[in-house]
Amino acid sequence: MTTPTHMVELRDVCMQFEENKVLDGFSLNVEPQERLVIMGQSGSGKSTILRLILGTLRPNSGSIFFKGFEITGLQRRKLQAVRQHMGMVYQYSALLSSRNVRENVALPLEELTDKSRDEIDKIVDEKLELVGMKDSKDLLPEELSGGMRKRVALARALVLEPELMLLDEPSAGLDPVIASVIDELIISLSDTAKVTSITVTHEMDSAFRIGTRMAMLYQGKIIEEAEPEKFKQSKNPVVAQFLSGSTEGPILEGSLDAITKK
Amino acid sequence: MADAQPPPVLVAQGIGHVSRNFLHEVGGVFWFIVNTFQEMLERIQQGRVPFRASSFFRHSQRAGVDSVPLVGLVSFFLGLTMTLLTGYQLQRFGTERLIPGLVAIGFTRELGPLLTGIMVAARIGAAFTAELGTMQVSEEVEAIESMGIGPLRFLVAPRMLALVLLMPCLSTASNIAAIFASSLICKAYFSIAFPYFLDLVKDSLLIRDIVTGIFKSFLFGLLIASIACYRGLTVKGGAAGVGTSTTSSVVTAITAVIGFDTLYNVIYTTFYPT
Repeated sequence: MTTPTHMVELRDVCMQFEENKVLDGFSLNVEPQERLVIMGQSGSGKSTILRLILGTLRPNSGSIFFKGFEITGLQRRKLQAVRQHMGMVYQYSALLSSRNVRENVALPLEELTDKSRDEIDKIVDEKLELVGMKDSKDLLPEELSGGMRKRVALARALVLEPELMLLDEPSAGLDPVIASVIDELIISLSDTAKVTSITVTHEMDSAFRIGTRMAMLYQGKIIEEAEPEKFKQSKNPVVAQFLSGSTEGPILEGSLDAITKK
Repeated sequence: MADAQPPPVLVAQGIGHVSRNFLHEVGGVFWFIVNTFQEMLERIQQGRVPFRASSFFRHSQRAGVDSVPLVGLVSFFLGLTMTLLTGYQLQRFGTERLIPGLVAIGFTRELGPLLTGIMVAARIGAAFTAELGTMQVSEEVEAIESMGIGPLRFLVAPRMLALVLLMPCLSTASNIAAIFASSLICKAYFSIAFPYFLDLVKDSLLIRDIVTGIFKSFLFGLLIASIACYRGLTVKGGAAGVGTSTTSSVVTAITAVIGFDTLYNVIYTTFYPT
């Protein structure tokens, strides 16, 4: 078997939850330092892809590679080591509610490195400053707004200096200005820290701002993959309908009648 | 209404289904304990502590120290009741001097650990399940996992160890409270003075009784913590799921504590008859 040289490769991945087949022979390559944006309908399996790459879900079949190493059937201990090279930002931030901002961001450093308290404080301050949250480090997650939480989650994901960032709907539910701030942060990370990122979203503005390559997930497969400008002009009827937000087209075929009848 | 009776095959299927679920749960809890210890050992092999001392002490404070008033009070009342009930019966035969020994042995060997187990399962087991369940549904557990941190050693191990180590202490507090309550009743109703009461307790209590009680407490601590944490980390279905799991955790833990206590007594009395 040839060893892939991509940052991430998913090969013929199938993923099924009980009767629901989410990914069906899904294949994807992610090159180093690119910002891939995966678009698709809600529930189409976008977040599942990120969880498969992280190894928190195991595929029913197929292989997943990270930097050329197959991580599909890796043991827990090795998988934990691989995950330290990835940073994940969850859709709802997933900050530990009993810990303040500083403790949340410091957690990976405290648990996984031998750094001293001073060193940890310095790194935490640096990351919080990067996301503009240095003044809020003593606040609890419940005292933060949605945008602030996202930024803290981003800082936490960055604290171990990952090579790969996985972002699940980074700007969903945020006002346009804060959404732009988050997007700019993601862009600057890949430019300055050479971080590869995979972003999953269905927010158009954000997707085209972040992405250096776009992919459309539909019915368990990538049906279109292109650079942003080419992607916008795609002739694929599913992509065209998704980008225009029209109710006419193949996406709602069959189910539209059911919706309107209701 | 003979038609409403289920055919035997359905009954057999029902029993099979319940048995399979039961075995699935038992196996789940067993592997949960094994995996937790495995994660801890792996961490120790890496030359690191499996969890932070502050986390262990926080859970010890909550599960152990903060439970002392409740455990003490309930045991005190039960000690009073037990002394009164047995005292009046024994008084009829002029053997009220047996009361201190009866209460001391009864609590040290049996009621202390059992009562503590039931109360801790209700108080702390529910709290552990609700806490971990909420973390599970809000993706906090997955976030911990995604950072490369083992959630079992990080979240479960300090809780488990705190409960295992604190249960014997709580049982001892329960024993002391009950024996103290008994001494008050013995003095007030049966004219047994405190020094004589203490002598009678010392005469009747064997090291074996104390060791049995302590061993049971360790076991109950492990059971309650494992069931509570397992239920918490396997929550499905949002807030309603957390509620269901918390109820289930308390019921399962109390049943398991009483079940294991019975099993322990059967085995113990078979191999080491008094």
